[in-house]
Amino acid sequence: MKIRAIAFNTFKEAIRDRILYLILFFAVVCIGFSRLLAILTVGDRVKIIKDVGLASLSLFGALMAIMIGTGLVYKEIEKKTIYTLLSKPIHRFQFLLGKFFGLVLTLFIMLLLMSIIFLGLVFFHTFKVEWHLLIAIFFIFLELCLITSVALLFSCFSTPILSSLFTLAFYLIGHTAWGLEILIKKIKSGFGKALAQILYHFLPDLENFNFKTEIVHNLPIPPKIFLYSILYGVFYTLFVLTLAVLIFRKRDFI
Amino acid sequence: MAQRYSGEKSFSTLFLVLLLILTCGVFMNLKIITDRIMRKKVPGSSIIYLPKGEYLKFATFGYSSLLADMIYLWAIQYYSDYTIPDSSQYLDHIFTIISELDPQYFDAYDVGAFIAAYEAQDLDLALKILNLGLEKIPQEWWFPYIAAHYLQFIKKDHEMAQEYYKKAMSIEGCPPIVRRLYADAIFKTTDYQAAWQAWLEIYNTAEDERIKRVASNHLYNVKATMDIEMLKEAIAKYREKYGRNPADLSKLVYAGFLKSVPKDLDDKEYFYDAQTGEVKTPTIPWKR
Repeated sequence: MKIRAIAFNTFKEAIRDRILYLILFFAVVCIGFSRLLAILTVGDRVKIIKDVGLASLSLFGALMAIMIGTGLVYKEIEKKTIYTLLSKPIHRFQFLLGKFFGLVLTLFIMLLLMSIIFLGLVFFHTFKVEWHLLIAIFFIFLELCLITSVALLFSCFSTPILSSLFTLAFYLIGHTAWGLEILIKKIKSGFGKALAQILYHFLPDLENFNFKTEIVHNLPIPPKIFLYSILYGVFYTLFVLTLAVLIFRKRDFI
Repeated sequence: MAQRYSGEKSFSTLFLVLLLILTCGVFMNLKIITDRIMRKKVPGSSIIYLPKGEYLKFATFGYSSLLADMIYLWAIQYYSDYTIPDSSQYLDHIFTIISELDPQYFDAYDVGAFIAAYEAQDLDLALKILNLGLEKIPQEWWFPYIAAHYLQFIKKDHEMAQEYYKKAMSIEGCPPIVRRLYADAIFKTTDYQAAWQAWLEIYNTAEDERIKRVASNHLYNVKATMDIEMLKEAIAKYREKYGRNPADLSKLVYAGFLKSVPKDLDDKEYFYDAQTGEVKTPTIPWKR
């Protein structure tokens, strides 16, 4: 109940943030811009629309999670509203989870709005609702949940600017960490290889949530990967949230 | 009361640490599992949508050389992955992009041509990349030299190889070996007189004994090839007239097919087998 109350309050607070609508505006412009890009291409126009649309959903969604998520806890500390909150019978983990679910709900609504516009644009070109695109969108949402948890983690001990940079770095690492696999193959056995292997398995692999290419090209996807990718997202998010709770518990506000 | 609160806090901290370790272990294991599941890829999907280098240059904000390095590094990894079907399909596109981003990138032309010649087995593409390299870096003798090398040893097009060797020789800094390969290419086109002249020039201008010996061996080989061809022709005429091979080479002179019996460069007589009509050099040219 307490978590739900904090979550709804966080949601109400987040939807009042002007930056959210600014990002949403640019996302919609970008999705619309895919129509213009499609005119310039030779061949399959719908492919360009799907590619640009899904990329916009992913990029602007991540931007929303970073911009709002990194200020969530920091604002409460800076405005000293956290004293009022924590003086009530609320556990710190409940406060953090409430913040997390509140932002996840905000992102869900924003993603839903963008998806409706995107699917509408695709429908305008193909005259059919391409439901399979929802698979890619669902995994984008999972990725956003993980990014939100990371933004929340940094927000517990750092300023919004630094937290934004750290979360952005997490996002970039998550999409490029697969390159370590090539490095591991090239390094000879030893400390360097062991370190690279640990890093490879520990660093986030956000490509596990990237099904955009397969969905756009209608490629067969092994069903097992859906389940494992969902579990990977859930457990990584849980790991980051646990770490955030541990750090937040150590903070002294009095 | 305070003691109970402290105990509860320690217990929850322990629980959180255990949860942290557990979740970490689980997601690392899940990573291993997801890595094992093979996902389908669109052949060349990572490169076919790369725009032309001239347009890409605008998006680099002045870091076009850096982007060229990145694409080059990535291309090497991409083309060494034999699991990608038709990976050579976009070879032209990718190395053209690199050349447009960083026209002075020597390795990109060299390695691109190498991949085209040996991996893709597309010699025309290899020549195209090397020609592009020569166009962008005209002071580099290596490109026409390596183009000639591919033509001579892979395509066996010795006439075209000669043209590229000539181009390489006209560039400052070209090493002497190119002249020797050029002379060898002339020999392969069976223009023996021109080959003789080329090797003679190398012999006369050689600065060290080793090169002189190499040129001398080639001169021996050119002369022996010309002589043996002439002798074989005369033997064939003799056989046509008398229905048998001559008993020895002097019979060709008596029969009027030759003015005199030629000798090798060391003034030794050629070996002749009257049974088969075969003529051989008395020594192996390279072991003189």
